[in-house]
Amino acid sequence: MRTLIKKELRLCLHPSVFLFFAFSALVFAPNYPYEVIFFFSALSVYFCCLSARENGDLPFTCALPVRKARVPLARILVATGIQCAMLALTGALGAVKEAVFPDGPLLNRAGISANLALVGNGAVILGVFNLLFFPLLYRSPERVGVPFLLAAAAQFLLVGLFLLLRWCTPLFSVTLNGSNAEHTAAKVAALFIGLAAYAAMTALSCFLSMRNFKKVDL
Amino acid sequence: MNALSVRGLTKRYPHFCLDAVSFDVAEGHIAGLIGGNGAGKSTLLKGILHLIDAAGEVSVFGEPFRADEVRLKQQIGFVGGGFRFYPMKRLAAIRSVYAAFYQNWNDETYRSCLRRFGLDERKRVRELSDGMKVKFSLALALSHGAKLLLLDEPTSGLDPLSREEFCDILLSLSREEKTTVLFSTHISSDLLRTADDVLLLSRGKLPESRPLPELLARWKTVLFSTAKEAAAANAAGVKKTKDGFEGLMTQGAPLPANAACRAATLDEILIHLEQTQKEDNAHADTH
Repeated sequence: MRTLIKKELRLCLHPSVFLFFAFSALVFAPNYPYEVIFFFSALSVYFCCLSARENGDLPFTCALPVRKARVPLARILVATGIQCAMLALTGALGAVKEAVFPDGPLLNRAGISANLALVGNGAVILGVFNLLFFPLLYRSPERVGVPFLLAAAAQFLLVGLFLLLRWCTPLFSVTLNGSNAEHTAAKVAALFIGLAAYAAMTALSCFLSMRNFKKVDL
Repeated sequence: MNALSVRGLTKRYPHFCLDAVSFDVAEGHIAGLIGGNGAGKSTLLKGILHLIDAAGEVSVFGEPFRADEVRLKQQIGFVGGGFRFYPMKRLAAIRSVYAAFYQNWNDETYRSCLRRFGLDERKRVRELSDGMKVKFSLALALSHGAKLLLLDEPTSGLDPLSREEFCDILLSLSREEKTTVLFSTHISSDLLRTADDVLLLSRGKLPESRPLPELLARWKTVLFSTAKEAAAANAAGVKKTKDGFEGLMTQGAPLPANAACRAATLDEILIHLEQTQKEDNAHADTH
């Protein structure tokens, strides 16, 4: 598996992955629906898969001495690494923003503040992306666009839902909003719930993708 | 010992069926898989390597392939035409990734292949000619000590000089290093030049699988004046030609009066057996 992951990193990682990491700095934008940041992370994964298809990566990899089912697993693990890095960066930059501008306009007029709960929301958004995108992709690996469109649509629906919750429920507009120093326990809980949902959805995505890919004719 | 045994390999698509194909390739032999476009050559090779979900059994050096696919693949080199992967990557980057998958990777052998084939590792894949791409694929396959090479139309798109060079490489691998080769082609001259055995694939079926000299000695091309004469003689794959009708008959079959015959070429065997298969399929469809 380590060799497959190294192959993914050396031959399949699209340069846009590093560019999209920079989008985590959007947390410094005064009023912005920060959940959209996680769409860019999904977009970088899509570019990796698109470029892998154009490079004939799957036929090349499957002819190597590897189990066919491990091929999607390696890709999803690399994508998970990219997404976790994006989550960590967003959380870290949110904390930096809070530290650098302690008296700044922390209250985001577009959505939730850049805090730990936002990272939890991002984890849910990325988990849903993984759950839809990879199993659909590995059912028919030549078609990268349709799985991405469906997964991206689901992501934006979730972003919309989180924005709605931000304005309609006290939990999201008060408890999970604002600085990490306020309602810390609730924000940490939201973070861990989001990460647990992400882990569960990604694990299910791995299982479904591996199962689907076994039946694919290359 | 057989390097490769295939039994009942079957793959059904909506408009094509690889139909229970069975054959053996003896260790150290070069087997040529010949057939027209769409005959199923690539499907067969992919089925052997389990790149497609096909029914049937495949044994490599006497061991069931699917039971221990990862270990047995260490002994197999697969070249799917030229090297069509990662056009923007340098050969060195691909080699370093590829080598990590093989326990028996030999960097010295690889360097010697690069020198022999005139390959420069600093080049990107897209900078290689078609012939060089095939050579790069071969260099990778040979450097992990592959004892069985599966090559899918490796000479397609190569100029005659490159094809000749490729045939020389195959022959030296087989004769000097006892490497077994199964390669698909639709260029019969490559096959005549290198193959010990011929597998003739037609519309998903394998009507002939024999040593090359035996195959050529088995058939004769017979020229008839009328279709009626050809039918009476029970000739296989009868086709109209500019001078009458032409079909295949086995060497032992009695020659009808007024019919002329000559030794069948590999192309003629392929064409007439393909015609037979076409007629059989049409007959099966009507019933």
